[in-house]
Amino acid sequence: MSFSLAQILLFIIAYLTGLFAIAHLADRGIIPDRITRHPAVYTLSLGVFAGAMASNGVMSLAYDYGYNFLLYYIGVVLMFVLAAVLLVPLLRLCRLYQLASLADVLTFRYASPRVGAGITLAMCITVLPLLALQIQAVATSIQILAGGSSTLSPEGEHNGLAFLFCVIISVFSMLFGTRHVSAQDRNTGLVAAIAFESLIKLTAMLALMLIAVFVVFGSFGEMEQWLLSQPEVSAQLAQPMRGNNALILLLIFFAGAVCMPHLFHMAFAENTDSRDMRAATWGLPLYLMLLSLPVLPIAWAGIRMGHTLPLDYSALAIGMVLQSKSVSAIAFVAGMSAASATIIITTLALANMCLNHLVLPLRPLQVERNQSIYSQLKWLRRALICVLILAGYVLFAFLNLGQSLTQLALVAFTGTLQFLPGIIATPYWPRGNHYGLLAGLLGGFFIWFLAMLLPLAGADIPMPLQILLGEVATGNDRQWATTAIVSLGVNSLLFMFVSVCTRTGAGEKVAADICSMDDLPRPTRKILSVNSAAEFAPRMAGTLGEHTAQDEVERALEELQFSIEEKRPYALRRLRRRIATNLSGMLGPSEAHRIVESTIPFVASPGDREREDFYLLERNLEQSKPRLTGLAADLNDLRRHYRKTLDNLPIGACSVGEDGEILMWNQSMVRITGVAESDIIGSLLSSLPPPWSRILEEFFHSDASMRVKTEVTLPQGNKRWLGLHRTATDTLSNNNTLIVVEDMTDVQLLEEELLHSERLASIGRLAAGVAHEIGNPVTGIACLAQNLEYEKAPGEIQHMAQDILKQTERVNRIVESLMHFSHSGARASEATLRSVNLADCIDEAIHLLSLDRGTKPAHFDNRCDRELLVVADSQRLLQVTINLLSNARDARRDGADVRILARADDKRVLIDIEDNGCGIPAEQQNQVFEPFFTTKDPGEGTGLGLALVFSIMEDMNGRVSLTSPLVDGPYPGTRFTLQLPRGRYEMDYDL
Amino acid sequence: MYINRLLLLAAGAFLIFFPAFENWIINSEVAWYRPWQFWLVIVVAAYWNQQSRYPDEL
Repeated sequence: MSFSLAQILLFIIAYLTGLFAIAHLADRGIIPDRITRHPAVYTLSLGVFAGAMASNGVMSLAYDYGYNFLLYYIGVVLMFVLAAVLLVPLLRLCRLYQLASLADVLTFRYASPRVGAGITLAMCITVLPLLALQIQAVATSIQILAGGSSTLSPEGEHNGLAFLFCVIISVFSMLFGTRHVSAQDRNTGLVAAIAFESLIKLTAMLALMLIAVFVVFGSFGEMEQWLLSQPEVSAQLAQPMRGNNALILLLIFFAGAVCMPHLFHMAFAENTDSRDMRAATWGLPLYLMLLSLPVLPIAWAGIRMGHTLPLDYSALAIGMVLQSKSVSAIAFVAGMSAASATIIITTLALANMCLNHLVLPLRPLQVERNQSIYSQLKWLRRALICVLILAGYVLFAFLNLGQSLTQLALVAFTGTLQFLPGIIATPYWPRGNHYGLLAGLLGGFFIWFLAMLLPLAGADIPMPLQILLGEVATGNDRQWATTAIVSLGVNSLLFMFVSVCTRTGAGEKVAADICSMDDLPRPTRKILSVNSAAEFAPRMAGTLGEHTAQDEVERALEELQFSIEEKRPYALRRLRRRIATNLSGMLGPSEAHRIVESTIPFVASPGDREREDFYLLERNLEQSKPRLTGLAADLNDLRRHYRKTLDNLPIGACSVGEDGEILMWNQSMVRITGVAESDIIGSLLSSLPPPWSRILEEFFHSDASMRVKTEVTLPQGNKRWLGLHRTATDTLSNNNTLIVVEDMTDVQLLEEELLHSERLASIGRLAAGVAHEIGNPVTGIACLAQNLEYEKAPGEIQHMAQDILKQTERVNRIVESLMHFSHSGARASEATLRSVNLADCIDEAIHLLSLDRGTKPAHFDNRCDRELLVVADSQRLLQVTINLLSNARDARRDGADVRILARADDKRVLIDIEDNGCGIPAEQQNQVFEPFFTTKDPGEGTGLGLALVFSIMEDMNGRVSLTSPLVDGPYPGTRFTLQLPRGRYEMDYDL
Repeated sequence: MYINRLLLLAAGAFLIFFPAFENWIINSEVAWYRPWQFWLVIVVAAYWNQQSRYPDEL
């Protein structure tokens, strides 16, 4: 029984067309997203790991090593079951920084393009035997199917069909693997096709198992009976591996789960959802368990049938012996689906690596401003896929079936083992650097190359290496174990030794911190050379082309949900980081870093210090909360507690960086200003809406440490009074300023109420005197009016009328003074600072006080210069002088004068009000300006007079101070000194 | 260097007990499918383990 070559070709084409159709339908969305995006599809796509080795090679592995063939699967199973050890940290990195390959991850971690180039070159050489393995499995299967013979000829007469198979696979990879230029975009069609292949592979293997059990043996029980009758088969199965070879084999396949490019690509580059990874932690072990279950029954069936084909092709042999084309076809499909999936994904992943780490760094893309780089990238990637598949085919043709599938697999897997130290150090050893990595890789890879790859081509192991490897290197089949352990040992030792002995660069340290398991990304706050998002695209157009630059900026803006008008420094830094990350998915981290650094550089920060971005740090901590345990979780809880306390403070607090960037904005600030935290964090003070920008910016740039009362007119027209305080917070090398904003509106309104009450109280006290003062002229007017009735002489009448007018004027003057004093509209908000004649103001105060008949008359000696002007509100200055003069009058010795003196310089005027009373004790001097503090008897004073004086003087940009005693003796006296800006004629100030 | 102590303990225990475990699991006296029975237990444990994790702990 055999197939013709045409039949086989048609079969291959039909199968791959089916694959094309599935990929196409998934890409077009005809297969619904709920299927293509289901975690089961992702898990099945990870079945790409089980290539031709799982469908064919594992049979001979089972024959050679018994149950230890399971280690091929167990390595990957362990890696996924213990996903938290390596896979989760790697997935986190890949997701955050759009890293799509092992070379991307290691380049990012070790911050060196040389690492990327080295890893890519090593990976290409290492994986070629794996590609050759897949092609050999398919080519041999074709040969068996076409020849129908029980033995294989080494001439490879059916290599033409194998080549055709490679061509079709190349076309598929190019069509469906390069649809998205960014490696981070999921190739839905490709993933669906690979998942389908995994399903076909599993179904075929399970079908073959059923055929083996129920057709070849008759039943499950009969198979067990046969096994019992074959003690040599059972013994072969249960043979333990020599020494620690089982552990080494496990280590090789364990490493393969992250080091092999095809599994890495499916696990990280084609995965965007952590839900998928979680499903894979149990889904993939289940899949591999089912896939491995048929191996022994198929192998036993082959042994029972006594075929002469290599054990790798036991399934095909069953079909041949049973003379069943369908069984042969199922076995062929199992092998072909496994091989094609591995070739497609491996070459795709390698093509991305070669492009990003070998091609682009050597020959940067040449784009005109009006061109896009996307098509260039696509075609470069496609060309690389062709070259890689061709290279695999060339190696296969060169080896010409000279090696078993197991040997090829062990060579490839042992090679990729050399990447394990670098990967483990990524999350676990921040001290490792790129010198160590490259030295270790070079050492380990060199041993592998000489001891495993060259012997594959028939060359002998060089003598010095034979001595190093010992007796096992002399050609026996266990040499892979010694080579693996020696090369890995040399690799690890060199890595550690060189890393410890060499200096790690600053950039590499930052990258190491970012990748570290126990660390969070520590963003730094630097000042960008652009001021708005709109400036990004023109800057990048020179390197990426106008269209690409525009597309990338728009994409990043959309992902971050920012607008093109965005100007906040924090947002611009995030935008820059996002663009770099997106470009990294397309061009690799080193090329992306180079482009972003050259087009959107940071400007040197003051003092050239790296400043922490506290807001991002807080955000990261908040997002990482579930990951934090133990002390870290406690510290985070403490941070949240203090943060909440700060947020809930009744006083507004905002932290401002050296460059004026707002770093913190608590809830009280939101309440006071009406500006939400999310809208303003990361912005400059100047971008606050008016009037806050002016007030806070002025205060931030001033030298003042506090402003007691600042009046703010809100856009709605209402007014607020704020107290501003500032303090420097020098933490973690950041010179930030903490501005505390106190809403004093209520206090201000209360003060005004008090002021008014006090004024009314003063008027009350003056009432008796006023009545008396008005009573006299009114009596005079009444007398004059009576006389006028009888007076006939015109001269006398005129004289009397003039007297009446004089008396009326006197009344008017008194009433006006009172009105002036009690002016109820003179609130702080309506007060106006103007040049006021000081002597006139004091005269008026003296006049008003003289109306107070309830007190002993006093003589006020106003010695102020009649021409002296002060900048003040006349109403309020009147209140101040009345309060101070009345206090001085009450405190003075009987019969003594109260003196008012004024002295001036260019800018200010000092007004002294002196009495020669009993003075104010030193211990009370600090209290006299506090509200409700009085030394007078109950009922005589409100305790508000001096408090109001203090408040009014602050409002008028003045000061009040007191000096006591003035002289020694029983009457030491007190001097209140008012300080006010000096006024000029024609000068007005608006408060 | 960050070292997860639990993981280190597990790795040590694995290295120590691997030979004994290997002998137990591939004992020719018992059913040939014993490794797969044990494997199934691991799958169930992995399923249970991922259920108890946070929705997105990456």
